[in-house]
Amino acid sequence: IFRFCRSKCHKNLKMKRNPRKLKWTKAYRRLHGKDMIQDSTFEFERKRNRPERYDRNVTENTLKAIKKIDKIRVDREERHIAKRMKRKKTKELREAAKELEQSIYLVPVPEKSPVTLPDKVPVTQKQSEENRMEE
Amino acid sequence: MVQYNFKKITVVPNGKDFVDIILSRTQRQTPTVVHKGYAIARIRQFYMRKVKYTQQNFYDKLSTIIDEFPRLDDIHPFYGDLLHVLYNKDHYKLALGQINTARNLISKVAKDYVKLLKYGDSLYRCKSLKVAALGRMCTVIKRIGPSLAYLEQIRQHMARLPSIDPNTRTILICGYPNVGKSSFINKITRADVDVQPYAFTTKSLFVGHTDYKYLRYQVIDTPGILDRPFEDRNIIEMCSITALAHLRAAVLFFLDISGSCGYSIAQQAALFHSIKSLFMNKPLMIVCNKTDLQPLEGISKEDKKLVAEMKDEAMKTVIGQGGEPTDEAGVLLTTSTLTEDGVIAVKNAACERLLNQRVELKMKSKKLNDCLNHFHVAMPKPRDQKERPPCIPEAVLEARANQAEADVEKHKRTLERDLENENGGAGVYSASLRKHYLLANEEWKEDIMPEILDGHNVNDFVDPDILQRLEELEREEGLRQEKEGDDDFEIFEMDGAELTPEEQAALAEIRKKKSLLIQQHRMKKSTAESRPTVPRKFDKDKEFTLKRMGRQLSALGVDPTLAIERARSKSRGRNRERSAERGDGIGNDAMDVDEITPSKKQRRHRSPSMAISRSRSRPRNEFVPGEGFKDKPQKERAIKMFKKSANKRNKDARRGEADRVIPTLKPKHLFSGKRSSGKTDRR
Repeated sequence: IFRFCRSKCHKNLKMKRNPRKLKWTKAYRRLHGKDMIQDSTFEFERKRNRPERYDRNVTENTLKAIKKIDKIRVDREERHIAKRMKRKKTKELREAAKELEQSIYLVPVPEKSPVTLPDKVPVTQKQSEENRMEE
Repeated sequence: MVQYNFKKITVVPNGKDFVDIILSRTQRQTPTVVHKGYAIARIRQFYMRKVKYTQQNFYDKLSTIIDEFPRLDDIHPFYGDLLHVLYNKDHYKLALGQINTARNLISKVAKDYVKLLKYGDSLYRCKSLKVAALGRMCTVIKRIGPSLAYLEQIRQHMARLPSIDPNTRTILICGYPNVGKSSFINKITRADVDVQPYAFTTKSLFVGHTDYKYLRYQVIDTPGILDRPFEDRNIIEMCSITALAHLRAAVLFFLDISGSCGYSIAQQAALFHSIKSLFMNKPLMIVCNKTDLQPLEGISKEDKKLVAEMKDEAMKTVIGQGGEPTDEAGVLLTTSTLTEDGVIAVKNAACERLLNQRVELKMKSKKLNDCLNHFHVAMPKPRDQKERPPCIPEAVLEARANQAEADVEKHKRTLERDLENENGGAGVYSASLRKHYLLANEEWKEDIMPEILDGHNVNDFVDPDILQRLEELEREEGLRQEKEGDDDFEIFEMDGAELTPEEQAALAEIRKKKSLLIQQHRMKKSTAESRPTVPRKFDKDKEFTLKRMGRQLSALGVDPTLAIERARSKSRGRNRERSAERGDGIGNDAMDVDEITPSKKQRRHRSPSMAISRSRSRPRNEFVPGEGFKDKPQKERAIKMFKKSANKRNKDARRGEADRVIPTLKPKHLFSGKRSSGKTDRR
């Protein structure tokens, strides 16, 4: 039996779309390593098939612990994602440098930039005439 | 166990209805049209079919009647006798016999008439034969009309007979009228039998069911029996006699001690003795009812003697079954159905005795031996003389010893049911199930355990040593954070290749320009199908001009003058040679047009069309490279061909390409139809 958090998910299921292929689903993210998969915080939340006898102290401790575990888990997930994003930065910088070097001709030359046409060496008239004669 | 259910017999229609049904069916289901012009074989077949169809239907319906009514010899003798008592066996058999003969008669009639029809020579004759056949069949049915009515009545009555299984455990209640038999059955079963002060309230057998030791018992209530010779009995009494005679049941003979039924104990005893032959081989119990009006001890001596005699008779049956002669308790019982005193005891005793009798009977029968052969109780072989009695824990022994006290306590203990009744009944009070929880601390019994917290199931996290694990986790986390700090530091150092703000600005510019170029290219690409792909040197629209180049270069911040001069010099050189050969306007290199002061040489070769600085229209036969023509003569030839093709058409005053064309003179949507909004008075 399926339960859904909102109709978007329900409708996608009815359309028989594979959640592993839809970018926004948790299944996709976990499968493609976008979200954290293995962590010791996940061990705390395990389905137990045997009901435990009620104990007030244990329940109190559990409630407090849940909050803390949550915080830690969220922290770790954020860090995982940040690490993933950082890898892009280096690549971006490299590409930016390359693009700058290659396509600089598109940009108007600033006044005090090193990009200037080389100064022409004045060729004397005599030399030019001599060249012509040779041709 | 075959269930005798007479409810499934189909309705027997009366004579007239029967005839109507069959004849209308014949009319509907057989073909109806025949003309005298048809082939005689066809006419004959038509009428034969009708006759046969009618006969078949009569046959079928009468057969179902005969089959569904039970044969009195084939069913259980109890039912056979019951039906005989109620309906008279002879009448019943006669009626069914009449139906049978009717069936045969109809078949004969049909056979004869079909034989005659085979030789019918005209439509009229065939038709009258058919009419005669059907008529005779119908008279047969009319004659048995009374039998059919009788059978219908029997059927209706049989359907209301109680479904009694003659072979299962049964308890029979008999006695004088008004002694309290129906009240008793009302008390022990869910049956709802009429209880009234007049005699013969119960006119037929009634069945109720009750349970004892996980088995179901039928309890049959009979109409009261009067003390009369056998032949004088009426039908109602005969019902109970039949039941007594045929059913193997435990018999409860009800005695009214108080005499309020209108008959004395003496009369009742007399009845008992007259029918005691029917009690053969049946566990018999005497039940003294209405003890609230007259207790058993208070009756007169003669009555006590009579009762004792009856008890002796009953004891005989007990002995006959091999029970102990001293077991008196199960033979004579007192009850009061009004106060419900002793009712359960009677039921239990009756059920017990019946069960024992049945079990004994089964044990004695041959079949049981076969079953017994399948059982084998294995006992381990004793290896020494040591006694090994079964081990009964002390707690159990104590409990057994205190059994009596426990019983008394049970009566004193307040049940949940009593608690419920005190606090307002079933709808008002809901029992607190938490009372009996076994918890470490009694105060926790009313606690509500939270199930969900922040989207997690609390029960998934519950663990006695969760605090310890949490501590470990936090330590781990602390360690990791320190390591992270170091790592971050390293990673940041790697970012030495950051761009300066000027470089970033330049990069942004580059990207903007690139996107512009891409957009332009996309626009061009989308219109590429309608534009000819002309190489740049032939651009008609004069896009690629020196001025433009100059503008672009200065936009980039580069001084264009040098580039322009160089371009001019190059193009000028080529242009000279070309114009020298051709001497016409093709030498109008785009680069030159923008020149405001052309040089001497160029001025000579300027075509007359370019003398005036004008807009971009050109004469029709001017050769422009890139249009698709090789040279000017070809273009002029092409123009001529076009003109020629139009000549004849123009002369014939025919419609040409340039003439206005109305494809449909009367488009339907303008001349017909309603308008969704507005009026249609103008078309």
